[in-house]
Amino acid sequence: MGELQQNLTQYCFSETSRMLLQHREMQFGAITFFAKEHKGETCGSNGLPLTPNSIIIFGRAQLLKTIKHPYLCEYLDIIRGKHERTIVVSQYCGEPLSHYLAKNELSIEDIKRIAHQILLGLNELHDRNIVHRNLSTDNVLLQENKDVKLFNYGLFYMTDHGKLVSFPILKTLYAAPEVYLDGLNNLSNSKADMWSLGIILTELVLDKPLWNTLKLSQCIRKILSLMHGTTSIFERIIREHNCYEKYQLLPPDLKQLIEDCLNILPKNRPTTKQLLERDIFKEFQNGKTNSKNKIYQTFDTFTLKELYYWWQLAGGDVFLELKKQGLIRSSPPVLSLPNMILIEGAVLGQERNPATLYEPRIVQMPLDTLYQRFAHIPLSSYYPLIHSKSEIIEKFEPPSYDASDLPLVIREKDPEYQFHRTILFRRLLHGYPFTRNRIIKEAQVDIPPLLRGEIWAALLNIANNYEKEYVEIDKQTSTITDRQIEVDIPRCHQYNELLSSGVGHQKLKRILKAWICKNSQYVYWQGLDSLTAPFLYLNFNNEAKAFACLSAFIPKYLHNFFLKDNSVIIQEYLAKFSQLIAFHDPVLANHLQNINFVPELFAIPWFLTMFSHVFPLHKIFHLWDKLLLGDSSFPLHVGLSILTQLRDTLLNSGFNECILLFSDLPEVDIEQCVCQSLETYNSTPKSITSRSHQNAENASELHITGITVQELNREKCSRISANDVVNLVRNFPHKIVIIDIRNPLQFSRCCVKGSVNIPCSSVTFGDANLDSFGVHSGLLKNAQNKIIIIVGTEETDLELFPKFLLQCNIPKVCVLHGGFNVLLPITPTVLITQNQI
Amino acid sequence: MANRTSTAQRPNGATQGRICQFKLVLLGESAVGKSSLVLRFVKGQFHEYQESTIGAAFLTQTVCLDDTTVKFEIWDTAGQERYHSLAPMYYRGAQAAIVVYDITNQDTFGRAKTWVKELQRQANPNIVIALAGNKQDLANKRMVEYEEAQAYADENGLLFMETSAKTAMNVNDIFLAIAKKLPKNEQTTGPGGSGQGRRLVEGDTGAKTAGNCCK
Ligand SMILES: Nc1nc2c(ncn2[C@@H]2O[C@H](COP(=O)(O)OP(=O)(O)O)[C@@H](O)[C@H]2O)c(=O)[nH]1
Ligand SMILES: [Mg+2]
Repeated sequence: MGELQQNLTQYCFSETSRMLLQHREMQFGAITFFAKEHKGETCGSNGLPLTPNSIIIFGRAQLLKTIKHPYLCEYLDIIRGKHERTIVVSQYCGEPLSHYLAKNELSIEDIKRIAHQILLGLNELHDRNIVHRNLSTDNVLLQENKDVKLFNYGLFYMTDHGKLVSFPILKTLYAAPEVYLDGLNNLSNSKADMWSLGIILTELVLDKPLWNTLKLSQCIRKILSLMHGTTSIFERIIREHNCYEKYQLLPPDLKQLIEDCLNILPKNRPTTKQLLERDIFKEFQNGKTNSKNKIYQTFDTFTLKELYYWWQLAGGDVFLELKKQGLIRSSPPVLSLPNMILIEGAVLGQERNPATLYEPRIVQMPLDTLYQRFAHIPLSSYYPLIHSKSEIIEKFEPPSYDASDLPLVIREKDPEYQFHRTILFRRLLHGYPFTRNRIIKEAQVDIPPLLRGEIWAALLNIANNYEKEYVEIDKQTSTITDRQIEVDIPRCHQYNELLSSGVGHQKLKRILKAWICKNSQYVYWQGLDSLTAPFLYLNFNNEAKAFACLSAFIPKYLHNFFLKDNSVIIQEYLAKFSQLIAFHDPVLANHLQNINFVPELFAIPWFLTMFSHVFPLHKIFHLWDKLLLGDSSFPLHVGLSILTQLRDTLLNSGFNECILLFSDLPEVDIEQCVCQSLETYNSTPKSITSRSHQNAENASELHITGITVQELNREKCSRISANDVVNLVRNFPHKIVIIDIRNPLQFSRCCVKGSVNIPCSSVTFGDANLDSFGVHSGLLKNAQNKIIIIVGTEETDLELFPKFLLQCNIPKVCVLHGGFNVLLPITPTVLITQNQI
Repeated sequence: MANRTSTAQRPNGATQGRICQFKLVLLGESAVGKSSLVLRFVKGQFHEYQESTIGAAFLTQTVCLDDTTVKFEIWDTAGQERYHSLAPMYYRGAQAAIVVYDITNQDTFGRAKTWVKELQRQANPNIVIALAGNKQDLANKRMVEYEEAQAYADENGLLFMETSAKTAMNVNDIFLAIAKKLPKNEQTTGPGGSGQGRRLVEGDTGAKTAGNCCK
């Protein structure tokens, strides 16, 4: 409650948007290094090329982005450059302790506080099995309020304990003795960090850097020499530095702590937990609530990750900054020529200069451009109004930043627009599930890429217990499907760094296995991998959520597609697809029919994977952004719009050219595709695309049942439900033409309001020519995109008539399902009887 | 469809004799390299991260044999057992098939044998079947002996080669060997079985081919 009030007060009185944006901790910097290059062998045992180490690092480092802790710098981004260069962007604020020490002295009280905070930071890491290994006064950053933040703590972890780089990850002097002895790479004991802490604290209490006059090798020798002898190492270091008086003045608990950290045997050093429990830190424990016990999540107006994202959109470029600072230097290519290349391809000579493998400097990223760009944004824009019943209050909202006319790709690149969208969606997501309707409404405008994963989850109605469910599923036991999954994963969206990384492969495999295990009625069909990829990409650090999204997506859009025998489901789907083409584009439908270019030959991968097998990820995102707002018929419209985009080519091609076109799908303009899909989706009565195999849960009113696939394939025009017809007659009479094909006697007795009688028997179905309709041909010619509903009865042939219209290239022809009689019981009636005429 | 005689105008201006059009289908367990073989044959490329095939893919390629131009209409099928039910749609009416296995995986060889049996039972009786032991470049991890496969091929009257889509070894050769073995005077059937899609083809070289084979 106190916090809330404080927030409010701040909001009303003291804060300005500048203070929000330019918060001291909202800053970041980058470091860079080279991953180890593969030498010699370039193929793994499966014949596939070895994954570059920089990609493996890229995959491993993702986890670090999830760590949020007051005493740890937040990881923001990993960027891969040429030649295995890796750039790591993370929060960087305050001043390295080493700099501070050179100028100032710390009180014992400060030192205790710092020790406590470093321990809390380390504790968080050790809990996650991450060893810092690189702890020194250089990467403990002191903030203005004398809090600390640990920096660069993930290097050892992301490089798989240093195995993926060819430089040692340690800081001499601070590294524990066993680090030197045990080979440089393999040791990952968290106790090494305790030693480093001991050294740091020694420096702090002595207020001087240790052995700073020694050369590197001497320094290492010095450390190793500490291993001999039995007296306290701490005391020996003190004596070497002639500071015994200071030592004697130290409070015993602090002395003991340092002493324990500097134990030569790792196993005898205390753990972070043990130290945190000591009395020395008692004073820091009370007053602060344990963040894990809070009943509500604190809400940040925006996060550092978002700031970084906006910074990039506003032109910020990490690579460029590193270049400016001389951290990335390009040397003329002639200097990097190898000395010799063997015929088999092995390259000799021109090793990379080891001195450039790791660059210890940190480059702070300048934020001025962003500050200027956002300077005019008023404070109230940081707190957009979500919900208000008061017009007066609403009036004081700043006018919204209008970019709705701009193309989506431009909107996504506009920092200011993304600022507003992100701020708004963060708020809405914070209130999920109660704000779900608002989320849907805003998602119809567009979805800010940075929050796409969470927004999708909200659109898919994911409940918050998904983690527990995922944990409980068996993802390990081997099954007969494993081989198929294993050969498919290295072929699934591998152009993408995340999905091609080792961690990506493992995660994808687990999710797939989990899905198979949980849905025993279904089986793994090739394509399920592609379908999972977008969810995994967006929730890379939250496998359970990716799984939950997949699990919600499939019943909604691909109900029963993954049955072992899914042929009826697919056949019905494809038949419906053909009918939809005929409904909107009879010319194309007739052409495809003539050349026998049936959807079975090209559309199965489209629908089975909801296009995730045929488009790259960035296109899938935009497509699914809209798909998730539609129902299970939306994909049919997407399929139609793809055909429409390629229409001219298709119309001028024969079978072979058409099928070739789809074997290697040409560039499809996704925004156009999405717009057109939405247009037909909104203008098509729902029953036109209803399927008997769609998920009954989300089929609101299923009025067309009991039609076999054979019938569907025969009927070239779709059926329309009585419900849709009644709705059209009542509300949109100007949008329809009703053709009653019963005989005139029946018609005159009773008919639908506004319908026209063209008895089946009066038409000669010869050449596809509208003139066969005699006086009514004009009506049909001028129908101009009206929906043409054929009404007949059991006796009238309900196939011939619509088929003939289709052959005449008349669009939007459909047949009332169940015939005229289904309209009889409907009240209030849409019929008129003889006496009314 | 009308039987038309045509002469193909090659880009270099040389006039070829007859044009034959054949439907060829690739079958075999998933990930043995079917798509890779086709890609190598048609485009001369190899993708390490070849995407998996869902349903089937269609490609064409023309080869020249003496005075005959042979145009292959190639159906590359999905390998997963589940997609089996779709397979007949593609091998029905095919004049040739390449059954592929991976020499580093014994199971895929077993699967290849099943495909051969199915083709012998269900496909066009005159179908020319070739057996391809792919990934020959990984011979150091070989699990299927050359002799074993050769003996099996001999027993069943199959063409046989070990191939590598990666190094291109024997890829063109296996298609050429099939082209040689195919009868050049019989009727051919278009793709999709039952005469589906057998339409006049306007080739980009200006060649006109009819659904029927050689003239
Ligand atoms: N080393 C090697 N790998 C191959 C060869 N052919 C295919 N591959 C790889 O094997 C995997 C599966 O190939 P793919 O063509 O998709 O197999 P398909 O499922 O039968 O179509 C891919 O990763 C290919 O890169 C080959 O001749 N040699
Ligand atoms: Mg394939």
